Amino acid sequence: MLVMGEVRTGLLQNSGEIPESLCQSVLGLLSGERVRVSRRPIVYAVSPDQLTGVDCRLASASQARVRGVGTVLSRASVTGGRVLQGSSHIQVVRSESDHRLSWSHYLARPGVVEVFGKIRVPDLSEGFAESARNDCLDLGSVSERFMDAVQASPFLDRKAPFRSARTRLRWVAESGPTGSGGAESGPTGSGGAESGPTGSGGAESGRAGGGARTPEGTGIRFTLGRDQVRTLRLVLPGGFSPGIVDFCEDLALHDWLLTTLLVIVEKARVGTASRAEVTAKLAPAVDHLLHLWMPAARLDDAFAPFWETLERRPGFSRQWHSLVERVRDQVAINTLALLRETGGW
Amino acid sequence: MTPAYATFGEVAAERRIASAPLSHVSIELGHLYMEDFQAGPDRLREQFRQVAPWAETMRRSWQSRVPGGRARVSTCFLIDDYFSRFSTPAELVPMVLEAAAECDLTIDYLARESACAEADGVMLARLVEDRLVTDPPAGSDGSRPPVTETGWLCNGTRSPYSGAVQAMGSARRWEPPAQNAKRRHSIFVDVELWDTDSRGRTWSCPFLAAVWQLLRLGLIRNEGELPVRPKPRGASFPSEWDDLPAIVQLNPAAAPFSAYSTLSVLSSRFLPVELAVRTILSQVFVDAQVLGQVADRSGGEGIRLPDELVDRISYVFLGA
Repeated sequence: MLVMGEVRTGLLQNSGEIPESLCQSVLGLLSGERVRVSRRPIVYAVSPDQLTGVDCRLASASQARVRGVGTVLSRASVTGGRVLQGSSHIQVVRSESDHRLSWSHYLARPGVVEVFGKIRVPDLSEGFAESARNDCLDLGSVSERFMDAVQASPFLDRKAPFRSARTRLRWVAESGPTGSGGAESGPTGSGGAESGPTGSGGAESGRAGGGARTPEGTGIRFTLGRDQVRTLRLVLPGGFSPGIVDFCEDLALHDWLLTTLLVIVEKARVGTASRAEVTAKLAPAVDHLLHLWMPAARLDDAFAPFWETLERRPGFSRQWHSLVERVRDQVAINTLALLRETGGW
Repeated sequence: MTPAYATFGEVAAERRIASAPLSHVSIELGHLYMEDFQAGPDRLREQFRQVAPWAETMRRSWQSRVPGGRARVSTCFLIDDYFSRFSTPAELVPMVLEAAAECDLTIDYLARESACAEADGVMLARLVEDRLVTDPPAGSDGSRPPVTETGWLCNGTRSPYSGAVQAMGSARRWEPPAQNAKRRHSIFVDVELWDTDSRGRTWSCPFLAAVWQLLRLGLIRNEGELPVRPKPRGASFPSEWDDLPAIVQLNPAAAPFSAYSTLSVLSSRFLPVELAVRTILSQVFVDAQVLGQVADRSGGEGIRLPDELVDRISYVFLGA
């Protein structure tokens, strides 16, 4: 199994969060198809799947010329009526033919890109994760276009309450050494949670993330790159399951929340600016972001160990809760100061 | 079932897709245009006489594939009321039925061509147009949106615009178009999907024929529901085409309208139209869940259908 994807995450360009009822209009990118909405534990709406045809080079670490033909599967989603994501992925398989077939062949295999010749998984996964070439498969642009299509909706007022950057999460999932390609076992199926990714603390973060694999062949490596680029490498037993895409989107969402909150707190200049100024700068975070943190809310249980690993290192929730406390403390101090000024305390 | 959609546990988050009753094969006995009608009932009888043995061959072929010979075969007939309006249902339909009966053919379902554009308030042609995923030329890496000419669909790369004059003022040399899936030499096809005039958009005959094939294959859904269901015939036929249901079930004992596969018996003058139809259908993305339903059902009967939907369509082209 070799699956690659890219998730782009950003703020929905609207002054307030959009109600669930509006999600159908905003994400209804395909006539005759309903937007699916999940309400618990947080409102999450996802567009119908969309396909894009590609016939191009796939990035390879060895610079080998690898041609792939097939379709990219994409979707756009809105979480909490506030955060927009565009997500695209492909499964890479070897073509049984030595030449390009009629298009109907590829359309019958949505989300599959067929590669001519032998597939060298490490070469392609390394190539995709690190690629800076601009003549190779570009899943990010595909995701971006679906995001743009949503942002262009006439139902949005395009007045975002604060400025924020879009983040990019490029991910690759491949089978571990024991992965047989069978779909029965989830990521922890063979070894259970004890010997799964939590066993050896396989997550690495930072620019030179090293990563780790357990003997059972599961592993996760999350790397925070320059600008807004992150890469995620997963090694799983078994074959493709849609849970992989859900997990990557969930991680991208929470990474964006954390990144965005960090920027807001930084710009508030706590300790330098006046209390009133600090509170005003922090207000959008209280209004729009703090309630959205819900890691692994809708994930397949099989992926829970990956989240647990990431919670240990780099410790997403630890950092988030510390920031949230800081924001609330600042607001509380300002409230007290105001009360004192008005003589109410 | 495709796993791509099965990611939620909540009822509101799940897709519900109605399933269509399915025959083994849907045989199109004819397609009536104004010129055929103007040529008189003899022309129609002649058509049916030519079609009958092919329909019978297909019926036998399925009977031999299905245990006990219980093949579900339905027949249909399409009347053009979209490009030109002629006669009335009250006058025309009995004439068609009579001509068919003389050749021992039973027409199970009668459909109006305009139903392929819009039926029961559902814009079928728009639904299909929205599901076109264009055949990408080499070099399509996703960084730019697919190159399209509004209202046209091709199977490759068009010739560069010949009116363009290069910077040095010399006219650009002609370059050939290319088929994407060519085997050394190209057969380039460029199909007009629709045009517009003061009355709005008019869908092309191949586009409506592509919708027609998808309806017969039971592969179109609107918000998870079947967009058109055949309605039983009334005691008489109306005097206005608009009053005739999109698909009328003429034979109460007929097998289901939609089927695993289709056969169209046509005059060879329709060959270019059907090439265009196949060019369109090769680029229509049918819902994976719908395809899964059909595959499960046929698999349950021990029938393996081709993955590619254009391979589920057969033709007989008859000389003039």
